[in-house]
Amino acid sequence: MVKRLRDEGLSSERLLWPTKGPSRFEEELGVEEIERALGITTLEKAVRWAQTKSMWPDTFGLACCAIEMMAIVSSRYDIARFGMEAFRSSPRQADLLIVSGRVAHKMAAPIRQIYDQMLEPKWVIAMGACASSGGMFNNYTILQGVDRILPVDIYVPFCPPRPEALMEGILRLHEAHNAGVPPAYERRTVATS
Amino acid sequence: MTFSDLPGFVDQSEAYGERTVTIEAARIRDACEFARDELGFQVLSDLVATDYLNWGAKGVSGYIATSTGRDINFPMTQGMQTLPALKPTRFSVSYHLLAMRQPPERVRFKVWLEEGDSVPSVVSVWPTADWHEREQFDLMGIRFDGHPNLKRLIMDDDWEGHPLRKDYPQGGEPVRFSDAE
Amino acid sequence: MTVAPTRTRAAWPIVADGQYEGSRIPSPIPTVKTVPADFAERDDIMRVNFGPNHPSTHGVLRLIVDLDGEMVEGIEAIIGYLHTGFEKTMESKTWWKCVTYPERIDYVGYQNNELVFVLAVEKLLELEVPEKATWMRMLLCELNRIHSHLIYLGTSALELGAVSMFWYCFREREMILDLYEMVTGQRMHTRYFQIGGLAEDIPEGFYPECRKFVEWFPHALNDYLTLLDRNAIWLERTKGVGVLSASDAIALGQSGPNLRASGVDWDLRREQPYLAYNRVDFQVPVYTNGDVYDRYRVRMDEMRESNRIVDQCLRRLERMEGRPIIVDDRKVVLPPREELHTSMESLIHHFKIVTEGFRVPEGEVYVTIESPRGEQGCYVVSEGGPKPWRVHFRAPSFVALEATATCLHETLVADLIAIVGSLDAVMGDTDR
Repeated sequence: MVKRLRDEGLSSERLLWPTKGPSRFEEELGVEEIERALGITTLEKAVRWAQTKSMWPDTFGLACCAIEMMAIVSSRYDIARFGMEAFRSSPRQADLLIVSGRVAHKMAAPIRQIYDQMLEPKWVIAMGACASSGGMFNNYTILQGVDRILPVDIYVPFCPPRPEALMEGILRLHEAHNAGVPPAYERRTVATS
Repeated sequence: MTFSDLPGFVDQSEAYGERTVTIEAARIRDACEFARDELGFQVLSDLVATDYLNWGAKGVSGYIATSTGRDINFPMTQGMQTLPALKPTRFSVSYHLLAMRQPPERVRFKVWLEEGDSVPSVVSVWPTADWHEREQFDLMGIRFDGHPNLKRLIMDDDWEGHPLRKDYPQGGEPVRFSDAE
Repeated sequence: MTVAPTRTRAAWPIVADGQYEGSRIPSPIPTVKTVPADFAERDDIMRVNFGPNHPSTHGVLRLIVDLDGEMVEGIEAIIGYLHTGFEKTMESKTWWKCVTYPERIDYVGYQNNELVFVLAVEKLLELEVPEKATWMRMLLCELNRIHSHLIYLGTSALELGAVSMFWYCFREREMILDLYEMVTGQRMHTRYFQIGGLAEDIPEGFYPECRKFVEWFPHALNDYLTLLDRNAIWLERTKGVGVLSASDAIALGQSGPNLRASGVDWDLRREQPYLAYNRVDFQVPVYTNGDVYDRYRVRMDEMRESNRIVDQCLRRLERMEGRPIIVDDRKVVLPPREELHTSMESLIHHFKIVTEGFRVPEGEVYVTIESPRGEQGCYVVSEGGPKPWRVHFRAPSFVALEATATCLHETLVADLIAIVGSLDAVMGDTDR
């Protein structure tokens, strides 16, 4: 069964409808106002904010998308603006796995191993059509979506995605994390069906 | 020296400006060595196996698509305009050779194989054939006699079957609104 | 038919063949270097696994390395981690849908891969491509060559510690991709070459933008040279490392920059001209030492020459305004978009080509071009139906990686990175 955000007690509306403003519950409590006025916040929120500002990706290039993934570090896109320029070669130092490209069955075990070696909290972005769904390669060797073996947080479409598209995915992930959405592995192991 | 001096020469033909020389399967190694030393084809550009299972089975398009006339379940347009020439055996292995000279010359050596046949390895003639032969063994199931390290190259070691054969399913998942559904 | 007699080994195209005595190709397995027998018994040989996830293997390449201290004594490369089944998948697609696939094989030299498949199908169909399309193809392929070499340069230098090279190379890469985007709407994997010509006409304003790049790029190349060519660390790490002799390179089927760095004067663009390469003026850089440094120099010079070719293509193209970009064979080529609203025949042709595809005469062809990595071949067998019977790509990266074991001679493990980087293998091309 796929759990929904509200089953976790989360304010999913906030994600889907960012301009909606505070909920009635929050209005009554006046949380936002208190925070703003006093400059205090909860520890959880502060930690989440800190985590989004240093979400280090793993250096893990697979195929075409890896070239565009490299491009987000380059001067035009400059992912350093979001505190993510430090690509870590060791999965143990990385927080974010960007699956950039098609995943062959032969590669599935190494990927899962890399993911298991990462320390929590960890996130996965399926970059491009192949990692998301198998893309144009519906055949014997390609895994039809990396969510068969990894819990994926964000799917970035296109083939290959522009660097802007990947950055959009990354920013959405930051947004979700700031809003309190737990990483995908807490919600499900791998995709159902 | 001409191509007809090649050991195991069967015949030669020319199509699309490319010369194809058919060689007896058992003597391909000798032929390749001869071509390298005597004819000056220093480079093995490519080595590729082809599976001709059910070659030409689609029939010609139009009202004679099936023996009972046109079958509405199989649109007539999926066939071919003319029936292709039949192939002698199921598999062929093509060796694309290149002679580095002015003007450069290319030739395709071709051997015909049945299922289960093996062909002499040309690794001792061109070391570059090592991975090419392993790849064709892996994906097409052609055995190369005398290859020093004939094991799977691309697929996992415990993979079953040879994916590029025509009787191997393409795999993947059924997709809506496609033939495979 | 007679064939010219055998030339001696030192004859053209081999310019220099004396990098080392004899052959260093491992025996009996040419691609696996095994630890010498007197070493194997010692227990201080360490077996190290590089990859498939390693930051400096250029993709998902796995190397099993036997180390004696810092020295590499044995190596075996394991590939197949990016096997995508292109050849099988293309057998189930119609010809014009297949054009999308080859680009993803070598995703750095995508435009050249697309070209080789399109040329192969055009050879089977015996199509005469309009001149404007030919020149535009050449222009894009040369831009793509620069793009590919820039990626090589950026990543190889990055691996040897020259981090700033990466930013410089990606700066120019973005310029090239902007040009691509302007023409085709896509940064990579453009599918701009149709069978028979080009998909769209060249947009207004492309020539001035491209000319700006052509004028800028030699300055960028000088920047790179300033950064690297007098950099003591770079020279130390690359000179005399990973030497491959001319005869070994030919025996191992090497092609492209790797072959030209070993002293073989061979470039398919000049020897066996396709497109209109016989109508442009360019030099083929040849270096003779066969080491990592020479491979780098060949690619640097090639970028300069490619830039010159782009310039010449631009001059031609600027005079071809309004000329056709695709053949006028409605059985093969989609009709122009605007005709679909006015002409019934065009609509029928469009529908037929899109749904069932066009038929390609029976036969087999093997077409080769000079891709940024070397001889890119495409073997196509047609049964006469709407789908290819067999498609096979001769991948230059696949062949380049075969030379890894030969290049390793008394090599330090750190130089292994430089060598694998200098062979410039793209794993998508290797595994297909």
